[in-house]
Amino acid sequence: MAAPDPLSPALFLRRNPRRVLPVFGIQLLVTTLMVAIVTSINAFEATSDAYLKPLEQFTIVAPRHRVSLEGELEAVLDENPAMAERVRAKTLWMRTPMLIGEGRAPLLALAPEAQPDFMGRLRVRLVDGVLPEPGTDGAAVHEAVLRARGMGLGDTFGQNVNADDVVLDKFTVVGVLGGASRIGLVDLAYTSRPDSVLARLPPFEVVYAEEGRKAESDAWLKDAETTDGEAAFRVFDEAFLRERTERSMENLPLLLGFITISIACVVAFVTALLNVIGFQGRVDEFGIYLAVGHRRGPLVNKLALEAGLVAFAGWIVGVGLGLLVLLAFKAIWLEPKGILLWVVDARPIGYSFSVPVLSALVSALALARRLGRMDPVAIIQRRGLG
Amino acid sequence: MTDVTTATPVLEASDLVLEYRDAARTVRAVDGVSLTVGAGEFVGLVGPSGSGKSSLLFLLAGLRRPQEGRVAVLGEPLPAEPDRGAAIRRRRIGFLFQEPFLVPYLSVRENALVHAVDGEALARVEALAGEIGMAHLLDERPHRLSGGERQRAGILRALANAPELLLADEPTAALDGETGRAVMAVLRRRPAGAALIVVTHDPSMLEGADRVLALRDGRLRPLDRSGHGLDHP
Repeated sequence: MAAPDPLSPALFLRRNPRRVLPVFGIQLLVTTLMVAIVTSINAFEATSDAYLKPLEQFTIVAPRHRVSLEGELEAVLDENPAMAERVRAKTLWMRTPMLIGEGRAPLLALAPEAQPDFMGRLRVRLVDGVLPEPGTDGAAVHEAVLRARGMGLGDTFGQNVNADDVVLDKFTVVGVLGGASRIGLVDLAYTSRPDSVLARLPPFEVVYAEEGRKAESDAWLKDAETTDGEAAFRVFDEAFLRERTERSMENLPLLLGFITISIACVVAFVTALLNVIGFQGRVDEFGIYLAVGHRRGPLVNKLALEAGLVAFAGWIVGVGLGLLVLLAFKAIWLEPKGILLWVVDARPIGYSFSVPVLSALVSALALARRLGRMDPVAIIQRRGLG
Repeated sequence: MTDVTTATPVLEASDLVLEYRDAARTVRAVDGVSLTVGAGEFVGLVGPSGSGKSSLLFLLAGLRRPQEGRVAVLGEPLPAEPDRGAAIRRRRIGFLFQEPFLVPYLSVRENALVHAVDGEALARVEALAGEIGMAHLLDERPHRLSGGERQRAGILRALANAPELLLADEPTAALDGETGRAVMAVLRRRPAGAALIVVTHDPSMLEGADRVLALRDGRLRPLDRSGHGLDHP
C-alpha cells in the first residue's frame, strides 16, 4: 500500500467540499455571467458577418461621377483578367433589427434572367412563394430577415408604408429565400422606371470572378480604381465592407477588457477574503505543520494550489454553464428575431480566464502573508498550560 | 547553571537564554540553561506553571530563537531562524503536545504521516499502531477518538520518522490519571536509542526516568526521587 499524501491539495478539497463551496460558487457565477454577457456582444458581429457573406461570391463596382456604367467604364471593367461575368444591378437596403440597434440587409435589384445564377453562386434557394415578376414591386427576401422584421408573404415594406424604412417606395414580399447568404432580390426594371423615385439610385455592376480568382479580381479592380475622369469608379469588395464593420467595433475590446479586469479585481478581492476567512478555521492545522517541521514555502504552495484548483474548477464549470445559457438564449430569444450568435467564442472565454487567475494570485498572496506571520508556538500554547 | 553530560549526546544545549519583553518589563523565561541528553535517555523536566518548562522545550525543538546560547541535535546546530531549522526538526525530532492537534479531516494514519520523510514511515506507523493498540483506529477520523486515543495518535505522528529525540510537552495534562499513565507507558516503550524529554507539572508521570530536572525561574536543577529541588511540585 502506497503511503497517502496527507498534505495533498486534492485530498483537502475532496474531504472539505462545503468549505470551498462559497469560492467555487462565486467563480462559477461570475464566469457564467461574464461568458454569457460578453459573448452576447458578438451577436452584432455575427449578424453583420452574415450580411457580408454574399460578398465572398461577388464584388460591387459603382461609378463615382456618372449615373451610368456604360461605355468607357464598362471597357475598363472588361479588361479584368480574373473576371468571369458582370451583371447590371442596383443595391437597396432593408432595415433589420439587431441585438443592439439596427443593421441593413442587402436587397439586390437584378434582371429576372440574372437571378437564378446569382442565387446559385450564393447558395440561396427559394423556399416559399415566387421570385419577383418583371416590372412588379415583388421582393424575395431571406427568411432570417423576414423573421427579424416579423414579416411574411404578402407583407409590404419601404418608406411609402413605413417611415422608418431606408428603402424608398414600396415592395411586397412575394418569395422567401433560404440558405447561407442573407440577401433579398427585387426586379431591376421596376427599380429603373424613369418616373420612380428608385430611378435616382445609381446602377451598380456585380462582378463575378473566375473560380478561385476572387482575390485576384478584387486586387485588379482596386488597382484600376480611379477618382478622376469619366471612368472613375468605386469598388465595394468584402475586405472593404468588413474593415468598415470592424472599425465600428474597434474600441470594443478596450471596453470589454476594462470591464473584465474591473470585475476580476473585485472577485479576486472577495475570493481572497473568503480564502483568508476559511484559513482562520485551519490555523491549528497549519500551526502543527510548522511545528513538526514543514517549511512555510511548500505550505504556501499547498494553499495556493488549493485556492487555484477551486478557482479553476469554478471557472471550467462556469464556462460550461455560460455556454448552456447562451444556447438557451440563442434558441429562445435570438433565433426567432433572426439574430445570429457565435456561442463558442474564444474571446469571452479568454477574458473570463482572468477571473480565476487573479483570484488565485491574490488569494495566494493573502494566504502567504497570513502564514508568514503565523507563530506555531503561540498556537500550541493557546491550548496548553505553557 | 546545571550541566549533565552523557557519552553519546543526542541533544546539546548550552547557555540558553530566552527573554520575553513587553512595555512594562522583561521576563527571563529561560536563564542560562545547558543540557546534554544521550541516546535512549529519558529525562523529565518538572516545574510549576510559568517556570519556563514549555519555553525551554520550544528552544530545544528550534521553535523559538534563544537570545543567547545554542542547540545542536546529533551535532547538527539548529539555525537561529525557526523556519530554517524545520528540516532538522522534521527528520530528527518527534514532538508531542498537551493537545495532539490532529487535523480533523485526516484519518489517524494520515495524521501520523503529515511530516513523513521517507517511504518507511507508513510501515513504521502501522507496526507501532499494532504495538500501542491503535491498529483498528488507523482509518478513523479524530472526532471519533477518546482523549487517550487522540494522544496515542499524536505519539504515532511523533514517532513516524523514527526520531532520535522525542520531546513531549505536558502529554498527560488533559487526560485522567489512568489514561495519562497509559500514554506514558507508550512513551517509555519508544524505539530503542530514541532520547525522550518529557515536560510535566506532575512528577508522578515520570516513573522510569533516567533523570528528573526541575525548572524554577528559568533555571535548571536536578531533582531527587523524593522531589527535593522543586518548591512547588
